[in-house]
Formats: sequence, C-alpha cells, structure tokens
Amino acid sequence: MTTSYLKLAGGYVYDPLNGVDGQVQDIWILDDKIVEPPGPGVRAGRVIDMAGYVVMPGGVDMHCHIAGPKVNMARKMRPEDKRRDTIVERTLKTHSGTMGSVPSTFAIGYKYIGLGYTTAFDAAVPPLSARHAHEELEDTPCIDKGFFVLTGNNHFVMKTIADEEPEKLKGFLPWLLGAAKGYAPKLVNPGGVEVWKHHPRGNVDTIDQTVDHYDVTPRQIISGLTRTANEIGLPHPVHIHCNNLGMPGNYSTTLNTMDALDGHQGHITHIQFHSYGGGEGVEETFCSRAQELADYVNTHDNVTVDVGNIMFGETTSMTGDGPLGYYLHNVYGTKWFSADTEMESGCGIAPIKYRNESLVHALQWAIGLEWYLLVHDPWRVVMSTDSPNGASFLAYPQIIRLLMDSSYRNEILKTVHPEVVNRCILADLKREYTLNEICIITRAGPAKILGLKNKGHLGPGADADITVYLPHENKQIMFELPRYVFKSGVLVVEDSEIREPLQGKTFHVDPDYDLEIEKDISDWFEKYYSIKFRNYPIQDGYLHKPEVVDCVQNDESSSKSN
Amino acid sequence: MALELTYHGNTNIPVEIEGITPDILQPLSLAEIEQLRVFHGKDKCVLADFFKITGDASDLEMHLSGQLTGVHWIGTKMQCGSITINGNCGRHLGSEMRGGSITVNGDAGDWIGAEMKGGLIHVHGNAGHQVGAAYRGSERGMNRGTIIVDGDAGNEIGLTMRRGLIVIGGNAGDLIGFNMLAGTIMVFGSSGIRHGAGMRRGTIVFMGDDQPQLLPSFRQAVKYQPEFMRVVLRKLVKNGFVVPEETLNASYNLYHGDMIDGGRGEILLRA
Repeated sequence: MTTSYLKLAGGYVYDPLNGVDGQVQDIWILDDKIVEPPGPGVRAGRVIDMAGYVVMPGGVDMHCHIAGPKVNMARKMRPEDKRRDTIVERTLKTHSGTMGSVPSTFAIGYKYIGLGYTTAFDAAVPPLSARHAHEELEDTPCIDKGFFVLTGNNHFVMKTIADEEPEKLKGFLPWLLGAAKGYAPKLVNPGGVEVWKHHPRGNVDTIDQTVDHYDVTPRQIISGLTRTANEIGLPHPVHIHCNNLGMPGNYSTTLNTMDALDGHQGHITHIQFHSYGGGEGVEETFCSRAQELADYVNTHDNVTVDVGNIMFGETTSMTGDGPLGYYLHNVYGTKWFSADTEMESGCGIAPIKYRNESLVHALQWAIGLEWYLLVHDPWRVVMSTDSPNGASFLAYPQIIRLLMDSSYRNEILKTVHPEVVNRCILADLKREYTLNEICIITRAGPAKILGLKNKGHLGPGADADITVYLPHENKQIMFELPRYVFKSGVLVVEDSEIREPLQGKTFHVDPDYDLEIEKDISDWFEKYYSIKFRNYPIQDGYLHKPEVVDCVQNDESSSKSN
Repeated sequence: MALELTYHGNTNIPVEIEGITPDILQPLSLAEIEQLRVFHGKDKCVLADFFKITGDASDLEMHLSGQLTGVHWIGTKMQCGSITINGNCGRHLGSEMRGGSITVNGDAGDWIGAEMKGGLIHVHGNAGHQVGAAYRGSERGMNRGTIIVDGDAGNEIGLTMRRGLIVIGGNAGDLIGFNMLAGTIMVFGSSGIRHGAGMRRGTIVFMGDDQPQLLPSFRQAVKYQPEFMRVVLRKLVKNGFVVPEETLNASYNLYHGDMIDGGRGEILLRA
C-alpha cells in the first residue's frame, strides 16, 4: 500500500536524545511529524535515498537577536554594513533581502534554514515592544521561533521583591509572559540597567549593590525571579545575562549569580563574556577564568550555559544592557544608540570589530572555545555566538570545525595575539568533539534546555525538522551547506536553494496565574505607564501560527537540585 | 580608439550602470559589453538597451554622450583608465573609485566622488550635494584623490572626508566639511553656513571675496601666508583649473576648530 509517508532511507542518523549515534536508519515522516515505521507492506509515497549522508535534527539556536526594536534600530543605524555586504536576491518563491551583521527579516529566515537551523529564539524583547517583535517574526520565514521577555529591570518586579511579596510576583510574571506572548523571562544586567538610568555612567559592580529607589539588590532580583519561574513550571525558567558583562574580573560576579540561583534551574547566557579575570588595568591583568566557572557548572546540575563565542571580524553589538552599549561606544569610539523602555528595560547598540591581533579580542575568542572543551557534559553547554554580538550565526560551521579539529584550532591559535596562550589554557586542551556531541550542543541540548519536547530529536512524535549533510573531512564545509533541510516534513532546502519557504510557528507560554493580580497590575499601569492596561496584552488572534508550550508546575524540592 | 557609449534611452526612471568602468570593460568584446547588466529602476536590463556602443575598450578609454542626467553610478569603483562625459550626468559619479580620471563636460548630480579612494574627477560645470562625502552611516568619506568642480556645488561637501582634495570653483552650500576627519577643501566663491561643524582635523579654505560667518566654536589664531597654498594652486593649474589672479599671493586668517571636537581642524579665510 502506498501512503503519504515520506521516508528518508539509510542515512547515518545522529539522534543523541534517543541514543542513536551514527547508525544507519530510516526516518519515517507523516505530515509534519516523525512517526514509528509503519508495518510491513506499507510503502512510503516518497523515498529519498540518504545513503552516505549524515542525518540530524534541525538546529536550534537558543540565543540570538533576530527581531524587535533593537534589532530593527541596528539595521537602520548601519546602512554601511549592509551596503558593503552581499544582497539576497529575490526569486520566484523568496523575497529579496539585505545582509550585513543584522540581516533583514526575510534574509534571517532564509539564512538560518540554509544553515540547517529550524528553530531560533530572540533573547531580549521588552514586553512593551512585544507586538513589534511578533510582527518581525511573522516576516521571518522557514523557522520556528519565539522570544524571551526582559524582566530583570522591570519596576513592578523590583517593587514586589522589595516589598517581599512573592505571591504577587508569582502572579505578575506569568501574566507578563502571557501578555507578551513570550517564552521565558530574561534577566539582563539585573538592576544595573535601572542604576544606569539614574546616574551618569551608572551601573552596579556586584550583585549585592543596592538598586536606586527600589532598594533591592541584583541578587534578590535573580533569586526572586528564578524561584518564581521554577515554581510556575516554565519550560525554560530563567535566561540570565549576568551583571558586569565584558568587565575584567567579572567571573566572581558570574559565580555569585550561579550561587544566587539557590539550586533552582537557571541558564547563564553568553558565558564567555562573563568569564574574565583581571582588574582595572585591562591589558596587564585580563585573563581567562573559564576553568573555575566550568568547574562550578560541572558540579551543579541546575546550571546550563550557552557560550556566546566571538569570531574575528566586524559586527554589531546590541543588548538590553544599556550601560554596556555606552561602555563599548566609549572604548571603540563608534556610533551609539541608547534607549530607555519605560518601566521595563534599556538598550544599547554599537558597531564593533573583533581583531585577532588584539589581546582582549583574541582572549575572548579563546575563552569561548575553552568553555566547550571544559564542560564535561555536552547537554549543558550550547553553541551560540549571541548573534550578532559575538559574530553572526553563520559562523557556527567554523566553530564546529574548531571544536572537532584540534590541529586546526592550534593553527588558528598561532595567528592570534601571542600573549593569549599565557592567559588561558586553550593550548593545553586536546579534546575534540564528535559528531554526536556537535549534534547535542547545536540541537538536542538547546531543545532540551528550552523544554521543547518535539525539537532536537528524531524519535516518534518529534517535529519533522531534519537536516542532512554530506560528510566532509573539513567540518566547516560539511556544516555550511546542508544537502537537504526538512521543516515540518516539507523539503525546504535542497542543495542550498530554498524550494518551499513555509511559515514557521511561534512558541510562547500561557501560564496560569491568580486573576486577582490584574487589579494591582491595572492600577500600576494607570499610574505609571504611557499605555493603557487593556491595550498592553497581545491578543491570541494576533499571532499567525502560535504554539503554546505547557508549563509543568513542580513542587519546591523537585525544581531544585544540588 | 576609445569606447563610445551614446545614450538613447527615453525614460524618466533611473538607469544605473554600476560596474561599467574601463578596467572591467577592457578585456571584453563589444558583444559582451552590450550584454552587461544594468538596472532600469528595479528591472534588470542590458547595457545595449540604453546605449549604442561602438569603438574599442582595449585602451582603457571611455566616452559617454547624450542626455545622461538620469544615468547614475557612472565610473563607480573604477580602478584605472579614463572616462569622458560629454553632457550632464546623474548621481554617484565616480563613487568609491580608486584610480583613473573622470572628466565631465557638463554638470553632475549629487554624491560625486563619494567615498572615493583615489583618482581624479573634474567637472567643468556644476555639481550637486555631498561631493566627496561619506554615505549615510559610513565612518569615512573621500579617502584620497582629487575632485575639481569648476562651477557651483551644493551642501555637505566633504562630509566626514578623511584624505584628498576637493576644489569648488564657484559657490557652495551649507555645512562644508561637516564632521571632517582630514583632507583639504577649497571654495573659490561664496558659501552658506555652519562650515566645519564637528571637524576633527583637516583644512577648509575660503578663497572668495564673500567670506562666510564661522561657528562660535572656531577661534582665530593668526594671519599668515601658508606655504602649502602655492603647492596646491600649482597642482590645480596643472589640472586645467583657472586660479584667480588675486588668490596667488594672498594672506589668510587662520581659525582653529571645531572646539567641541578637539579643535585640531583649521579654516582659512582669504584676507
């Protein structure tokens, strides 16, 4: 009997979540899902021969900047970046677009899917601008997506923590995520952005410094939000951009932040930028402290990290960390954009060029690689460039090669500032990633950390997001140009050409909360916001292909480990 | 024998001929040149749709003629050779060019020599705005080379320029040398307002009788006869520019500025 099954026959399958490590297998697809092989006598309607090819789940980028007001502002403030780069030409099926370090919306979708990535999350959207982010995500084709909601400097959050009203926070946080149709709470320089708004060059130096007006500390914000998010049972409880990003000696802040999780599940993002030793005199003392931090991660199961590699070249820094944007502008003398999102967050944007002859930049590059090589369990470290902050997501294949080929890594190490080898231990790390481990840190791991049960694996019930590579000795070449990319069971990319630019889903959460809280929030809005309470939430009908990811409430003990 | 391109287009929609430069055309046959891609608005066309093409490109010499005011990006990114335009031409003439020379026997539009990195552009008529400027967002404008406009020009001449020489024989508009990083701009006629605003280094010289009022962030230093002026004027004469007699041995009032950005730039007003 011939059916509408699609069968990918005889590829080397990498599916670490289901314990498959390069065995030759068939993958059966029905509609948009992977299914069990049907019984004997059932023939697939279409069979694609995968013999000799490597078959993996579609890539999952859990931390990038692809939509929302800061991304769009970066596009506008860097026309020169786009003018110098290639253009994405219009075809009968695809839109035209521009590249540069911040590609246009359609181009982002095409480039991600062309790279074999089928899911991506924007890491920092002010809830007040969520509507804008959703509009852009709708124009980002081919991939599933979602975004994290900035909460670490939200005035209501800080007030409830200062007033020691955890129940109110437990009502507000799910309301906010549901109102923004966001996926997870994001903490960016918690408390520090608020201090920046109050003082010239203001920021916090430690997580125990008091934030103006609200009289709370970053530690209290981190602990309060993390505990609440875990209690709500969010699929990805908290996503934390620590205080003091990029500052020499910031590793102690990072350690303290991990401690402030109090054993609850939490994710520390672009940890490379938070792993520095040294003091005020940057050039003299700046060094890697990745080892100490990785030791902590290796011994504390509640912490996961993504790396935030930098790669050499020109890019655009964009962040909800307002004081960081100002710092970069002063260091590099480049143009700068700063924004204050009322009651909620800040923003800083500045162009940046990472140079291999710069000791600081070269060390940043090395520290990123150290992280992959020092964390023992690949399920708890995720590949990211904080695109575009460290580099474009298009640099992932090169990072894969650096991880899988130690001789290549050492060759590149010889081309960077010579002092780097004395300031970090990268030269001593001989570990080489396997294809299975690459599969974990680029798709299976991030999907698991995000709580996406249907992503990152090829078992029955999984979304049929599949990337097929032609094996090559040079892993950069192998991962740059997938032979096929299937999204939701549809062959979207074949030989680098987009065949069917379908529209992906938007993931968000819709957690329950005590409706009584709405009275307090409404009063708060009427008092302080420039927008009416009733106009703030994004209506269900606003999203085009939404998918709600369930929250699973845990009791206090089960959400804590170590 | 030069390559002759005679414009026969009849359209109000911009025609963009980026990439049609002597160095690119030199190895090509006439048939190949005719099929080179140009844009008519958003539509892709070929060069022969708009130009009658004769002659030979091998000697790196191109002549363009006809009503070329709607033809843009002539000589963009050219590396060497020469282009002569008989008539008026459009915007972005010689932008980002690195070498060679462009002569316009007529007027040119905006953005001529924008971000150029070498070579010579000589417009015998007038030019538009943003001569030798940086494109919006760029860190640097013109960065080597020479632009001579015998007639008038518009606003923002030498915007964020880094190196090179711009000479305007007639009048100019506002904001000459705005955010200038280095280089030299000379204006022989009258001009508008707010010149040198935000300039860090570089020299702006006003040679005319009608001197502009400078911003209060410029401070007078001295009156003198700069040695370099003779060298520059000799170069201009060599390039066929008519230098007014009264400027040859003139003295100048030197002003330093812009004081809001370091004050290392200079504006010279002919005394």
